[in-house]
Amino acid sequence: MLDPTSLPEIELPGSPFEGDTSRPAQSFWNESWERLRANRIGVAAGVLILILALIAIAAPIFSLVLTHFDPTRQHLIDNFRPPGHPYLLGTDELGRDTLTRLIYGGRVTLGVASLTVVLSLTLGTTVGLLAGYYGRWLDDLLMRIVDVFLAIPAIFLFILMSILFRPNAFTLAAIIASVGWGGVARLVRGEVLSVKQRDFILATRSVGAKDLRLIVRHLLPNVLPILIVAASLGVGQIILIEAALDFLGLGIQPPTPSWGNMLTNAESYFFHSGWLVVFPGVTIFITVLASNLFGNAVRDAFDPRLK
Amino acid sequence: MLLKFVARRLLASVIVVLGVTAVTLILMDRTRGAYVPGIDLNPALRPEDIARLRANLGLDEPFYQWYLSWLWNVLHGDFGRSMIDGSPVITHILERLPNTLELTLTAIVLGILLSVPLGVIGALRRGSKSDHALTVFSVGGFAIPQFWLGLMLILVFSVTFQHLGWPWLPSGGVTSPFGGGDLGDRLLHLILPATVLSLFYLSLWSRFTRSSMLEVLSQDYVRTARAKGMSERRVVYLHGLRNALIPLVTLVGLELPGLVSGGLIVEVVFSWPGLGRLAFERALQYDYTTVMGVVFFTTLLVVAGNLLADILYAILDPRIRYA
Repeated sequence: MLDPTSLPEIELPGSPFEGDTSRPAQSFWNESWERLRANRIGVAAGVLILILALIAIAAPIFSLVLTHFDPTRQHLIDNFRPPGHPYLLGTDELGRDTLTRLIYGGRVTLGVASLTVVLSLTLGTTVGLLAGYYGRWLDDLLMRIVDVFLAIPAIFLFILMSILFRPNAFTLAAIIASVGWGGVARLVRGEVLSVKQRDFILATRSVGAKDLRLIVRHLLPNVLPILIVAASLGVGQIILIEAALDFLGLGIQPPTPSWGNMLTNAESYFFHSGWLVVFPGVTIFITVLASNLFGNAVRDAFDPRLK
Repeated sequence: MLLKFVARRLLASVIVVLGVTAVTLILMDRTRGAYVPGIDLNPALRPEDIARLRANLGLDEPFYQWYLSWLWNVLHGDFGRSMIDGSPVITHILERLPNTLELTLTAIVLGILLSVPLGVIGALRRGSKSDHALTVFSVGGFAIPQFWLGLMLILVFSVTFQHLGWPWLPSGGVTSPFGGGDLGDRLLHLILPATVLSLFYLSLWSRFTRSSMLEVLSQDYVRTARAKGMSERRVVYLHGLRNALIPLVTLVGLELPGLVSGGLIVEVVFSWPGLGRLAFERALQYDYTTVMGVVFFTTLLVVAGNLLADILYAILDPRIRYA
């Protein structure tokens, strides 16, 4: 038998064995949701991310109503204005409004981050399910490929791929996901290996379910919790990577503002305009911090292995 | 048993190294055609000259052929010559390696020396103010972009301090350009980049030591040790810490590749002439022999680090079976 502690105790909604005790019937999802809601720091972090996302989505409204500037419009007379009026957070070397650029930069960062998560989860889950379910040579082959991708120093892979594909938001997400999927694949494969041994899989097979149905309807829902956890823990790292690539000039290209590429030339303005260095960094820091805290809360609530 | 385990892991490592170099080359291959951007536009070069130049560098071969001969040469200790300046790649690597090691080893050693005691304190005083402070510190350390922290430190300790007329720290390079190079000068240059890099390790490893220590202290053998009247100090340090540090071996082993690549961004921010920056700058110039050399070298370190960590782990923890 497998180690019982490594087995997730998941009750799917509508399980016939619910409701036999004093406690009202609770699905895994309801229970996890309750736990997440009880985590005050986690909820606060989640709300903060939601607000940032809303601001990013509504960026044109903000630049119209609040800042009255365009993110790429240059006001050369007004360059290097310190924070104040009318430039709330000052201007950069071309007289572009920092606050407007930060708001628009959020679109890039959050957009790339979500896309990266979707891409690496999709690829990683597919590979992990196939490797874990079919086993044998397919497992060996796929996992060796994963090993190779995880062994290439990630930063080199990013650099080479950024040079190869002039990055826009989509290719950048693909580039970052090209490293992220490996970890997801390993995680999913491990989980499938343990779920596969359980009786309900045998039972489903015995009533004649085909492979595809087994994988999609029975294995996938069982790995969903760890996918949610992996996704929410990964976002912070992805944002940091994206910002670093932008900073190195390998990510989103100017004039499109991103939090990372706003810092690329920062060193040249150190002597007179320090705020240009401070604001984008603080924005990245707060966003990553919120994502990490939220991710931790999600893990505490959803990870079946923690119970 | 152990031998067989090591042999199997070695075999897997060789496969990984081959795979990594192959993937790197396939990526680089797409840029090979345009070796030296603009060579085709040079009016002083006749088409046959360009063809001859390309043939000399083996650029007319299909990439698998080039890869095999590259591999053959590397196995004989020849990393080839740089596409940009024609000097041997290995000279570049050996020239930059000491700088990179100086930075990353300092950061790793600092990280271990500070994170272990901090982690132990956090575990022993779980829930106390110092524990909370430690948590906040490491959660914050995780969320700070390394390159931005570097910029901020330069802004404060180099730029602002200089403005105020205070003693300030150098913002880049390994030594001062004129008359520098003695130990004190090197150390002065090391302070800022090493701080940025070790802060990352510090937040990672102190969390890890804390949770590992907490887990060990809840084990039965610790309770037994306490029950038989062993002093708390001996329990904590002899039975607790010694066992809690075993998983940390793996974690530090996994950072070995960081010796080269982990410092890349810090090297760029602080103009530190290290291996990571070499690869970065040369990749931008399509100097793919140099890039291949550095990537190969780094991957060797990755694999060696993983292997070493696995073996050490298996030796240190008798519960691990060499499966």
